[in-house]
Amino acid sequence: MNPETYAYALLAFPLLSATAIAFCFRRSGAVASGVSVGAAALILATALHIIFKVENFEYSVSWIEMGSLNVDFGFLIDDLAKLMLFVVAFVGFLVHVFSLGYMKDDPNKARFFGGLSIFMFSMLGIVVANSLVTLFIFWELVGFSSYMLIGFYLDKPSAAAASKKAFITNRVGDFGMLIGIIMAFSMFGSLNLTDLSDAFGKDASLLETAGVTAIGLLLFCGTVGKSGQLPLHVWLPDAMEGPTPVSALIHAATMVAAGVFLLCRTGFLMTFDALTVITWVGVATALFAGFTAVAQRDIKKILAYSTVSQLGYMVAAFGLGSLAAFHGNGGDHAHMGEAVVTGGVAAAMFHLTTHAFFKALLFLGSGSVIHACHHEQDIFKMGGLKSKMRITFWMFTIAVLALTGFPMLAGFFSKDAILAVALEANSAAFYLLVFGAFLTAFYMTRLWIIAFLGEPKSENAEHAHENGPVMTVPLIILAVLSVIGGYVGFYPEVVGGVINAIPHPDSAAHTTILIASLVAVFAGYGISYFFYGAGAKEDRLESAAKPLHTLLAEKFYFDHAYDWYVAKVQQRVASILHFTEQIALAGLIIRGMAGFAGLIGIGLKALHVGNIHVYVYWFIGGLALLWALTGIF
Amino acid sequence: MIALEHYIAVSSLLFSIGFLGVLFRKNTLVMYMCLELMLNACNLGLIAFSRFHGGMSGNLFVFFIITVAAAEVAVGLAIIVALFRKRQTVEVEELNALKD
Repeated sequence: MNPETYAYALLAFPLLSATAIAFCFRRSGAVASGVSVGAAALILATALHIIFKVENFEYSVSWIEMGSLNVDFGFLIDDLAKLMLFVVAFVGFLVHVFSLGYMKDDPNKARFFGGLSIFMFSMLGIVVANSLVTLFIFWELVGFSSYMLIGFYLDKPSAAAASKKAFITNRVGDFGMLIGIIMAFSMFGSLNLTDLSDAFGKDASLLETAGVTAIGLLLFCGTVGKSGQLPLHVWLPDAMEGPTPVSALIHAATMVAAGVFLLCRTGFLMTFDALTVITWVGVATALFAGFTAVAQRDIKKILAYSTVSQLGYMVAAFGLGSLAAFHGNGGDHAHMGEAVVTGGVAAAMFHLTTHAFFKALLFLGSGSVIHACHHEQDIFKMGGLKSKMRITFWMFTIAVLALTGFPMLAGFFSKDAILAVALEANSAAFYLLVFGAFLTAFYMTRLWIIAFLGEPKSENAEHAHENGPVMTVPLIILAVLSVIGGYVGFYPEVVGGVINAIPHPDSAAHTTILIASLVAVFAGYGISYFFYGAGAKEDRLESAAKPLHTLLAEKFYFDHAYDWYVAKVQQRVASILHFTEQIALAGLIIRGMAGFAGLIGIGLKALHVGNIHVYVYWFIGGLALLWALTGIF
Repeated sequence: MIALEHYIAVSSLLFSIGFLGVLFRKNTLVMYMCLELMLNACNLGLIAFSRFHGGMSGNLFVFFIITVAAAEVAVGLAIIVALFRKRQTVEVEELNALKD
């Protein structure tokens, strides 16, 4: 079979499943969940076949041809896509299985599984797309499925508001991305990723032009929106209104990582200036979200801010690593275009992969906890879950350790790779990211202590009990991956193009990184343990430093600022524009023109007297006028 | 010898009679005959030009005009008959229902 057949199959399974659920099984949740999980299993099988048995290939068919505009639809399967494919298909399958348990009693199960299928379709589309147009279309589709699933609980106004917020915030970023794509088309005449990268390979001086910097930054806008970077991060914590498996799959492991994937896909066109901006946005996001997570009470909000923070790490890794490649070439850009995978891309993708495992595990674990505590999400109303939910507790613990970068677990290695590129490129960024690692350890330990240790702090927590194997087995599998996902040997040679490019610092730098990160992480554990003790009943930070806690709990007042902007600035400008539009456009131009035509009509109506002779005279008159105009007289 | 001018003169005369008839007569049937007169004035002109030019294209036109005129007469007379049945008159002055 042709290699593209498998790629088509990959997209067809979830699409067929979503269509079948939408048209046939909307009322029968059991069938719908079976269809959707079956599709996920087929996707996983196809993905594994593509990864191991199909050579890297590019395939494209002409889709739209209009003058100089040629849009292709096609697939680009390379090492990068294969690695991402593995993450999406594997985590996607586990989340589908977990959802069987989590959504068991939900009356709208069919809609949920239909949404998951349409999400899988869109996400896989992003991974295999070979041009920016195709990628953008699927990009919008994941936005739609995310919107649909965040607002899954239709009867909750907060869920409806959150889904709207997610969609609109993403629209801001996507608008920039769209302009970037159009600019790229006008500059290079093609949007095929291979064509674009060839253009940069041939003419490296392109990387010094301001236009290319603009394209890079505009494409980065898409990442800022989708991956929740500052200042468009506000939707991601609110997106936790959706069901927990959705948070695990879409808002932790895959979709939000699509922004990082986009950066890696378009890494060849990032100029020095663009990379500098990207780096600092990433670093700022990592720290900001780390601080904010410290003061949250909702278990999913803490994890959401942690996701934002880790995405900041990935973006910073991409920026720093690519900057390091610039430095490494001594300003000589000759090889930049050719270097398919820089250290930055590799470090970012490595962290993306390990993060997908342990963050999906954290969310599924939190889902397990929430399910057991009858949908209680406030960690200060949990406590004492350690003895009640042993499997969940231990798996969650592994995930916390992996995320915080405990030695020999997945997060330790991927964070090391990021710190390595940071140390090479910019020491200020290095120290800030190390501090971020401290924050991560601090807030995750806080969550772990308060939710799992001590005494139960509410009725619901007292009656909590372990969930069935449908929910615990995915946790165990993800926990295994969270441990071994950090070892390079775990990854097959087919994704070697990415894995082999992961930077390994020399021994002196390595010692610095190791000491810095270990000190940060263990300081985080220790201070958090000392501060919160075993099972604090109240947030001790709140009583110790009230103003600081308020600032953090209010998320640095970003939402307030946006509310103020929308209500006070945008709304007023809009009403002025509306007024002007009513007077000038609707009043003068549209109504005016219609009125003018109407008046002429009323005048001309008088000519119709109904007498044929009069018409003949008019006819002669018209003929005479025509002759006069053509110059016969 | 009859020259081209004579034919043109007769043709113009016929056309003018037809045209003035359409302008001034009140009876639809007569106006209709005047229309036919104008068509045949054109035919005469075309035949004459064709003859003196030495080509056949004028004759060709005439055949078309005769064919179309035949069809037109069939339709037109039918309309006038239908009109008379409905209104009991074919006087133009009284057929002013198009107004308003």
